[in-house]
Amino acid sequence: MVNNVCVLGAGSTKYGKLSQSIIELGLDAAKGAIDSAGITPKDIQAGYISNVFGVADKQVHMAPVLMSNLGIPHIPGLTIESACGSGSVMFREAYANVAAGFYDCVLAVGVEKVTHTGTTLSTTLFSYCSDFFYEGGNGASFPGLFASIARAYLTKYKATEEDLAYVAIKNHENGLLNPKAHIRKSITVDDVMNSPVVASPLKVYDCCPFSDGASAVILCTEEFAKKVGNNYVKVIGSGRGGSPAAVQSREDITTIPSTIIAANQAYKMAGVTPKDIDFAEVHDCFTIAEIIDIEDLGFFKKGTGGMAAREGITKRTGEIPINPSGGLKSKGHPIGATGIGQVVEVFEQFTGEAGDRSVKDAEIALTHNFGATGASAAVHIFQKA
Amino acid sequence: MDKNSSTHERFIQTAKSGKILANKCKNCGKVMLETMYYCSGCSKSDFEFVEFPGIGTVVTHTIQSVAPEGFEDINSYAWVVFKLRDAPFSASGFLPGIKAPADLPIGSTVKVKGYDAKHGLTLEKQGD
Repeated sequence: MVNNVCVLGAGSTKYGKLSQSIIELGLDAAKGAIDSAGITPKDIQAGYISNVFGVADKQVHMAPVLMSNLGIPHIPGLTIESACGSGSVMFREAYANVAAGFYDCVLAVGVEKVTHTGTTLSTTLFSYCSDFFYEGGNGASFPGLFASIARAYLTKYKATEEDLAYVAIKNHENGLLNPKAHIRKSITVDDVMNSPVVASPLKVYDCCPFSDGASAVILCTEEFAKKVGNNYVKVIGSGRGGSPAAVQSREDITTIPSTIIAANQAYKMAGVTPKDIDFAEVHDCFTIAEIIDIEDLGFFKKGTGGMAAREGITKRTGEIPINPSGGLKSKGHPIGATGIGQVVEVFEQFTGEAGDRSVKDAEIALTHNFGATGASAAVHIFQKA
Repeated sequence: MDKNSSTHERFIQTAKSGKILANKCKNCGKVMLETMYYCSGCSKSDFEFVEFPGIGTVVTHTIQSVAPEGFEDINSYAWVVFKLRDAPFSASGFLPGIKAPADLPIGSTVKVKGYDAKHGLTLEKQGD
């Protein structure tokens, strides 16, 4: 690698049911990141965009449209799709190009707009992210796929639906402190357990919402960041991995191989272990996902993640805070933006902008984001500069 | 089996007779779903077709209250992952008429009933 890479600026729209077009959302987040970095668009040498369902808002080929509206139409743009993991996969490509010396400064924007399509069409569109011949084509929705994973986990490890509920309660508590979160509401075990079943055994409060939103960051060389003189965050580890796309093809349904592969790469590159991580933003699209994530990332032994939220170990002030932003569960899940939104949270935590949800004395953080049921995943590790 | 037809079409035609079509690697002997183009064990691509009875045990399942488009006409169904009795892999499919988890305990036996153009690999529960 030629360069050390940093995040120099970060911006995000609110997540939720939003009225702006997908392009307006992307531009709002991009402007936030550019202003936060203390640079101008003319400093940007390439633009990376992550998005899945642009076609639902009548816009594909999004990178050149965004770059044109930022006044930099001549720089190269690239749009990347990797289902719900699009943002982190795109972040990795942006990171790799800066690390390799192709660029000194790039813009990375994740964006999604889907709520206007309604629940049935959104459910259908998301099912296209599965291995459709074996899953969506046989009637599986995304809540359904994770529900099947949940049932396998609860059966194998004798965990309970209440264990799942405590993940939702914890992330909603964190989301209450995040002004940009989609769902800002405190909930109880009874609220979760009595909420309508979406896909057994998962209930409404076990599921993240469909969200619109955009997040953006500026990545640059450390040399460039020092020249600008603003606060920055170091990227010290980056890993990518894959899993068999269909749930049926995995030897163990209760683990996600891509997470383990990506995490091991990132830990090795950063020279740290799970014990060194001060907080993590993980892919909690459903409560069961967070439990499996924190095991696969090495924070908890297999089969023990179910007690983590219940016992307060993963709360914001706990031993290993998980999803201080509120996570996908409360902050929301605009799928093309989610992976970048996690990096925005790390940036805000490490630059003193996280306000009431700040994690005390944090120096090293991890982001984890996957596509579909974990067919693709990326893990990144960051250090406070 | 027509080697010139598409992998999906061969899988579908086999499923219509209640069976699951697989590939057996001629190099290392590994057996996998027929839609694989290369062996996941040795990366060779020389296979022979093997048909397995579409009978297996339920590994996991879910019953959804919001169905994707094309499945709204079914009042209640389970999406099921099942381990084939005679093959070293699992498959998944659509099982109508399941209203509650208690209707389909883990370990229940299911059988491939056929392949429906609208609902995909269709299963039926055994032993009622």
